[in-house]
Amino acid sequence: MQQYPFHEWIHFFANQGVPEETIILLLMMPLIATIVAFFRQVIGIKAFGIYTPSIITVAFLAVGIKYGIAIYITVIAVGMITRTITKNLRILYLPRVAITITIVSLATLGTLVIGGSLQRTGLATVSIFPLLIIITLVEKFVATQIEKGTKTALLLAGETLLIALTSFFIVRWPFIIQMIALYPWSILLTIPINILLGKWTGLRVSELLRFREILKER
Amino acid sequence: MFELFKKSREILGMNARNLTYIRPHNKKRARRIADEKILSKKILKKANIPVPGLIAKIKSERELEEFDWQALPNSFALKPNRGFGGEGIIVVFAKKKSRDDAWIKADGSLVTIEDLKNHIRNIIDGSFSLANTPDTAFFEERLKLIKTFKPYCFRGIPDIRVIVFNKVPVMAMLRLPTKESGGKANLQQGAIGVGIDMATGTTTTAVYGKSRRTEYIPNTRLLVSGIKIPYWQEILRLAVKSHIMTGIGFLGADVAIDRDRGPVFLELNLRPGLSIQLANLTGLKSRLERVRGLKIKTIERGVRVGMDLFGGEIEEELEEISGKRVIGSVEKVKLIAKDNQEIEVEAKIDTGAFSTSIDTELARKLGFERTIDAFEKIDTQQFGNITEKGLGIDKKIKDRYQKTIPNIEDVSITWSSSGVTIRPVIKATFIMDKRRIVAKTNIIDRQNLKYPMIIGKRDLKKFLIDVTK
Repeated sequence: MQQYPFHEWIHFFANQGVPEETIILLLMMPLIATIVAFFRQVIGIKAFGIYTPSIITVAFLAVGIKYGIAIYITVIAVGMITRTITKNLRILYLPRVAITITIVSLATLGTLVIGGSLQRTGLATVSIFPLLIIITLVEKFVATQIEKGTKTALLLAGETLLIALTSFFIVRWPFIIQMIALYPWSILLTIPINILLGKWTGLRVSELLRFREILKER
Repeated sequence: MFELFKKSREILGMNARNLTYIRPHNKKRARRIADEKILSKKILKKANIPVPGLIAKIKSERELEEFDWQALPNSFALKPNRGFGGEGIIVVFAKKKSRDDAWIKADGSLVTIEDLKNHIRNIIDGSFSLANTPDTAFFEERLKLIKTFKPYCFRGIPDIRVIVFNKVPVMAMLRLPTKESGGKANLQQGAIGVGIDMATGTTTTAVYGKSRRTEYIPNTRLLVSGIKIPYWQEILRLAVKSHIMTGIGFLGADVAIDRDRGPVFLELNLRPGLSIQLANLTGLKSRLERVRGLKIKTIERGVRVGMDLFGGEIEEELEEISGKRVIGSVEKVKLIAKDNQEIEVEAKIDTGAFSTSIDTELARKLGFERTIDAFEKIDTQQFGNITEKGLGIDKKIKDRYQKTIPNIEDVSITWSSSGVTIRPVIKATFIMDKRRIVAKTNIIDRQNLKYPMIIGKRDLKKFLIDVTK
């Protein structure tokens, strides 16, 4: 990110000892959240609420897209398999999630070890916090699986991945980074945008599809 | 493109539902009533609205340990007080014979006291409540299915969802449980939603699950359209009354019909689903906008306005002007047997045929066994070869046997796509769309055909046919 010239505010923040990357990530957060809101209100893609896709985007930014997706898919797959095993145990919800998290953690560790042994050092050296963020996704996944069924949970997981990837690429777009680096105040524009989104009462793109039969009707 | 845009403004989407209807019209007190089923039961009961009886409730682990399981009836529903979307409900419809600790669920599987205890623990822990807050479990009386709906649903009880806004019932659908939905009347879980004509309470088009369209009950030839909902006005009245009593401004009211008690109020919904539009193939937004701001004083008036505004007026008007009933290309028909029993079948309306004909088996059921048996014994060959254009053979047979074969009216020779046949003709009485018709009907084996009966031109004089119906 160093190749971009910074606005004087950012220089000021950096001089106070805040790492530049942290500043940029924090300033990106409103933009990511707005993208998620747009996906929900206008396009109609639900995902796991607003927090999960946003934080997964940040995790992807930290871990890198390749490993991010690899770990994401591992977590979902293992969560799904574990669910079928714990289902027959007849135990209460939280202990069940705890067991799932145990197995997901071990599986992630396994993925890292395998990655390391294959000389994919990039995978083994990813920092722990973004990794943990992706692992906690499993709770959302299991909760949805119990309440709405596996199909819905998988759909939402896919949608979350889609939103996270889209925001990942938007946020990595040099034009956007440059804009935020040069005009950090521009992120305040997300507030009026969100007010508009919050007052939008039109049909979502997904609803145009859902109600196409009625639209065809004369 | 502009047409599409205009049309799309008639449909109620999630954004508009939440922002324009739920937010300003469903106040906090109303939200509490609807979210807590035991409380809503109490309030509705106080307003003289019939609700399913409360058998018992369990608030804590201790109450669960002390619960007397043998006091439960043979059939009941176990529900979370603050559940939503039909989640966490277990319905049992009989006690397992030879065991006193197990019941049979709607899907046929067994559920033991141990299973119920586990489920109740999950409910108390809040697994099914909004925001996972601790909850109460309760047992509720299970309703009994009425005869009208029996052929149409798989195990559970169908219910009628009515959307009420500004004291007017604006749209309704009949929700039929299927095998896929495990006997639950919930579209998200695979039930069938059938649109209802508000004026007459007759079903129209249907959606199966979230978005599939269907005309028939899965794996049967039963049409979902044309079902007349019993107690229709009473159901609308209950829906409007609950809307006024609870103050829920934008309400989805669920009413079921019990065999003994008639309409029973099941549930208040603050966030009714949007699929009702797919069931009715009509947008909800334009209807809501039509009743917004109307000054409605009484329940009766509200019901009247809903029926008048959103019923199939055009069809009714047409029937009034022509004096003829409008029917579709396939109609349900009630045949009156000789012993006055009624047999309901689906008949094809066939304007290409001159007369009406029915299947041999069906004719036997109607009491014409002896006619058929006697007719089958006749050796038609002795009158000549029928392929040579009849040559009055029908008349010869008629003259010879009219006196000896019971109930025979005539003999007809019919040329159809499958060849030439000589058929006995009898007088059959049937009721179609409330009209009673006595028809000269020929009898033929229709076993391999889709409909056991076709109605020909001669008996369709009192009807107009709408092929899209």
